[in-house]
Amino acid sequence: MQCFMCGAEVGNEKVCYNCGADILLYKQIVYTSYVFYNQGLEKAKVHDLSGAIEALKTSLQYYKYNTRARNLLGLCYYQVGDTVRAINEWVLSKNLQEEDNPTADRYLAEIENDPGLLTKLNSTIKKYNQAIEYCKAGSRDLAMIQLKKVISQNPNLVKAHQLLALLYIQDEKYADARKVLSAAAKIDSNNTTTIRYIHEVKELLKEQNTGKRRKKNDVFTFNDGNDTVIMNEHALRSMLDTTKTSLINIVLGLVVGLLICFFLIVPTVKDNMAEGNTDTILALNENLSEERDKNQELQEEIDKLKSSLSAYDETQDIPTSYENLLAAQNAHAAGDDAAAAESIQLVSKEVLGTAGKTAYDSLYTTLAPTIIQGYYEDGNTFYGDENYESAIVNFQTVVDIDEKYNNGAALFLLGDCYRLTGDSAKALECFNKVVELYPGNQWGRQAKVYIAADDTELSATEVGD
Amino acid sequence: MIDFEEELKKFEPAIEVEQAEADIKARDLTDLTDLLVNISSQQNATATTK
Repeated sequence: MQCFMCGAEVGNEKVCYNCGADILLYKQIVYTSYVFYNQGLEKAKVHDLSGAIEALKTSLQYYKYNTRARNLLGLCYYQVGDTVRAINEWVLSKNLQEEDNPTADRYLAEIENDPGLLTKLNSTIKKYNQAIEYCKAGSRDLAMIQLKKVISQNPNLVKAHQLLALLYIQDEKYADARKVLSAAAKIDSNNTTTIRYIHEVKELLKEQNTGKRRKKNDVFTFNDGNDTVIMNEHALRSMLDTTKTSLINIVLGLVVGLLICFFLIVPTVKDNMAEGNTDTILALNENLSEERDKNQELQEEIDKLKSSLSAYDETQDIPTSYENLLAAQNAHAAGDDAAAAESIQLVSKEVLGTAGKTAYDSLYTTLAPTIIQGYYEDGNTFYGDENYESAIVNFQTVVDIDEKYNNGAALFLLGDCYRLTGDSAKALECFNKVVELYPGNQWGRQAKVYIAADDTELSATEVGD
Repeated sequence: MIDFEEELKKFEPAIEVEQAEADIKARDLTDLTDLLVNISSQQNATATTK
């Protein structure tokens, strides 16, 4: 270390042996400066900028070459919106320590690189100063407008917040004042002026809320578009207290709504429903008729297809019928009339040609007794088994071919089958024919008995052979 | 209770950019070390005279 008086090297000595200067005292002064710098730094870290500024100023009063303290002081000024003071501190810092002072270099470079910033800040400062002038001249409204502009341009200018709050307090707008002061406290948390104003505003708000300071003709103001409406408290309360009126309006609205619904909407809805139903029925009728037409068309189509199918079946039946006819002829030629009778019955005469029909008729006539006998025997078998339905089919076939077969036995047995199945009319018809054809033989006599007694309930066994 | 007029007096105009140079020049940069140098110088002078 060098002596502050003569510049001689003094090392760790307390006194300079060259000039006798008090080195210890000098060192104590420098150390005290750094102690204040540390305090300022701690306060700045917790946003106690006012406290930091005071500590850093003290630090510099001890030792002006404490560059760190000066740079930090400039930063604190900058933070509270006092930009010109901040620049001054950085310029001084640079002058006092031209070399190895990167912090000041950086801050100044940032401001130099943004010339618009300086202009803007200067304009804000001018407006702030003008606002102070307005206040002093009694134009508080103009001052408020200016201060609001200043805060919008430089939200960190604590002094502007404080002055605006003071104006609000003067106009008894305590809530607004509190809001502005809260913003100021966020920037500089321990500013004595801000704290004092906040306390004052809190007290005033308390008094206002408890009504101690309420005046009889308290007035409220609010903005309605571009107009400012002023009214006393009673008028405002009565305007806001619309509970009863609202209730009455709601009830009236409900009643009117119900009446409208009953007299206008319900009939209209009913009419619409009736019209809708009629339309639906008409539509359904139309659909039904359309469906019927379609059904008829489809039925016609089915008939056509059926006729086509039957023609097709007949066409298919032709060769089979000829084959059966040939088989019957062959069987007959071989002397097997039973097989011939079976084959000829499988022939469809309608599908045969003229020659085929002639051959069929000829062979059928030849085989007729065999065929009839077959049917008659089958009929008797069914009759014996009391299967009268099948017996009727066989006896009817026999009767259709030859109603006198076996001296009227087939006809009588047919009638008897009808009698046993409860068809009295058909039974009597058969019995009458038997009596007519063979009145003297056993079938005729038995038929007479049935007819005379009208006793169709008699058992066939009683007839005897 | 805040006295508006009294409070208003505490608000001083902020330094504008144009006033920056004048402000720096007007600044008294004397610190304690300067005072110590002065005192020491005066003591040395007195001692030399004697």
